[in-house]
Amino acid sequence: MTINDNIAFNAQLLIRHRWRTTLLMLCVAMGVSAVVLLVSVGESARLYVAREFSMLGSNLLIILPGKKQTSGGGIPFYGTTTRDLTLQDAASIRQLSGVDSVAPVIAGTANASVGARSKNVMVLGSTLDFLKARQLSIAMGASLPDDAESVSRNVVLIGSNLAQELFAPHNPLGKMLTIDDYRFRVAGVLAIRGESLGLDMRDAVILPVKTSERLFNSFSLFRILISLNGLTDEKTVISDIYALIKKRHQGEEDITIVTQQSMMQAFNNIMVTLTTIVGLLGSVSLVVAGILIMNLSLISVQQRRTEIGLLKALGASQHVVLTLFISESIILVMLASAIGLGFTQVLLLLANYWWPTLSFSTPLWAYLSAVCVALLTAVLFSYLPAKQAASISPVEALRK
Amino acid sequence: MRASDTLSWVKHAVLAQRSRNFLTVLGFAIGISAVTLLAAVGDSLKQYVLSEFTQFGSNIIGVTPGKSDTMGITGILRTNRGITLGDAQSLLTLNEVTGVVPVVAGTAEIKYRNLTRATELVGVSHFAAKAWKLEVAQGQFLPEDHFTHPRAFVVLGSKLHHELFGDYTALGESIRIAGHRFTIVGVLAPKGQFLGMDLDEMAYIPAAKGLSMFNRTSLMEIDLLYSPSLESAYMAGKIREHLIRRHGVEDFTIVTQDQMLDTLDGILNTIRFAGIAIGSISLLVGSVGIYSILTISLWQRRNEVGLLRALGMQQSLLIRLFLAEAIFIALMGGSVGLIVLALVQVTLSTFMPQLPALLTLYSASLGIGVSIFIGALAGAEPAFKASRLPPIAALRAQ
Repeated sequence: MTINDNIAFNAQLLIRHRWRTTLLMLCVAMGVSAVVLLVSVGESARLYVAREFSMLGSNLLIILPGKKQTSGGGIPFYGTTTRDLTLQDAASIRQLSGVDSVAPVIAGTANASVGARSKNVMVLGSTLDFLKARQLSIAMGASLPDDAESVSRNVVLIGSNLAQELFAPHNPLGKMLTIDDYRFRVAGVLAIRGESLGLDMRDAVILPVKTSERLFNSFSLFRILISLNGLTDEKTVISDIYALIKKRHQGEEDITIVTQQSMMQAFNNIMVTLTTIVGLLGSVSLVVAGILIMNLSLISVQQRRTEIGLLKALGASQHVVLTLFISESIILVMLASAIGLGFTQVLLLLANYWWPTLSFSTPLWAYLSAVCVALLTAVLFSYLPAKQAASISPVEALRK
Repeated sequence: MRASDTLSWVKHAVLAQRSRNFLTVLGFAIGISAVTLLAAVGDSLKQYVLSEFTQFGSNIIGVTPGKSDTMGITGILRTNRGITLGDAQSLLTLNEVTGVVPVVAGTAEIKYRNLTRATELVGVSHFAAKAWKLEVAQGQFLPEDHFTHPRAFVVLGSKLHHELFGDYTALGESIRIAGHRFTIVGVLAPKGQFLGMDLDEMAYIPAAKGLSMFNRTSLMEIDLLYSPSLESAYMAGKIREHLIRRHGVEDFTIVTQDQMLDTLDGILNTIRFAGIAIGSISLLVGSVGIYSILTISLWQRRNEVGLLRALGMQQSLLIRLFLAEAIFIALMGGSVGLIVLALVQVTLSTFMPQLPALLTLYSASLGIGVSIFIGALAGAEPAFKASRLPPIAALRAQ
């Protein structure tokens, strides 16, 4: 029996049992598209965040003041500790080999007002390197001054939203802005980049770090961002920084260094696990569909006893009958998978149309694994009925 | 037709096609157990999180610096308009307030002889023991000292105590926290984790000491307890009025327990709903299985139906018989699904004893209810079709 014959034979069968075929295909298509959809939502979320991370550069270190030796680990995200991490510490880190740029950050909240309009805003005191590390660009006006770390100038960069809310319809450049009773001149407006890893820059203001020391009356840095130049091994730089801070802080190693890479890795692991679990839960529906295939095949074998008897009497071997029945399921599942995948594509296209920022995309392995699981269930669950059909004795079947 | 007759009819109909009904039940059972399992997981997650948050009682209100119309993590940032110890103390003058806990937290190195431990240090008041339900294992909690000039006392978490002192008693000993000397007045009983923070690793000192050690003027949060008979919204209004009188503007955020639970409830319900939705894909496929098998069965039993009609059986009775069969199969599937769930529960609980119950009255009734509903739904069309078969055609079909 050639493959062509096989397909023609089964096509006839599937068409004859239209109703049953439709139901089965519906089930398998639902299962396949459920798996692909769930996996692609998980993957897209992962890729979205991975893109955000990679925009920040892969060779970034973040220093947090404070240390926790607790068994549970965890980073001291409070950034509050008994010994300040200062601008001098940041400057000394810059001397280390392997360090490309150092961006000290003081973070706080303050009230920004222009005339009668006022708003509670996030205030970040930093340097030009911070803008570079966070991939922030200036939409209009100038950036922070070069001497942000040494001279306390009253200039400020404002987020795009803030420019609208406080200054519209006027051009904010060169205007005065009051932040907690200090007066600042607006030097520039940040380009819209939206929310970047949970930090909404549209409503933030950025000052020279020296100015923010004065504004908040504190020398304590909230974070230090360090980009590496790649010439020295990352591990070496990290241990160098620990050693340097230990020397500067009277023998106490009271900082925590987090690498961008490790943060991304941790996040990636969580997302991959979640996606796998969700995909597996989706493929449970394929197993249920497989059971349905088995059930209907069993009934079909029962109904077609005479036909099978005739086939065998005409010389079809057990093997041929087995192949026929299994290939019936395989053809059905392949058709159904095609329908399911087509349906998924349409849904994803629509989703991309509505939410362009997430850009849903399905990895090839999601398609492949969904179809493979579907085919595997088809073969597994139709094996028993096919075996039963193949073992029908021709004489008995025909005598009926 | 009596109920017992119906039952025996259904029993014979189902048993006559053992193997196919077994498979139908199996497929449906997988669907049901997927839905109930995911619903139960979502539910116990919700219970767990809510109980974590309500363990401090429902009449607690948190005040954080900064108006949260623009950001979420205001308490830990620098600010010139923070909430001070003075604010915390003045809140005590409100009649309705039973106690306040000023909170400032950070990390510090704690030294005892030659042992050092870098851990979390929390500045609080004596009232924290009551507000946060902290149990003291040895000694006492921080005494009721003057808010702004407290004595240098410290209370250790159980793990921290163990790490610095082993099994020896620590009461009355002096430890150094970032160079300052503190006297240990108490050790807490083990409490476990809260939101990923190990409460047993912490050291508790008076808030004023904490502020000066961290060189801050603003507290990170004030937790206050009020008389349980009062409405949270009324209390929030009182506090807002009081603090605006002190600050001139509303530069703080008040979060009542009710608000927080509402937010949490929304998030957790979404998670639970997503879980149920994923599970119901399997259930849907299982229901299609019931539907197709019933339709085929009906087709194969045309003569039986024709005979019954010819003998004078009413259409409504026939519908009821077929529906009963459908519901019976679905119920079997549902019960098997719940048994699977129970097995999963037993297996999992041997590895993770602290796991909350999956098979609850709620999940069981959900599973059974959904089974009955889907059985009726999937059986409706075949049953209706059966009742409409003309007896002649049905009898002739042989």
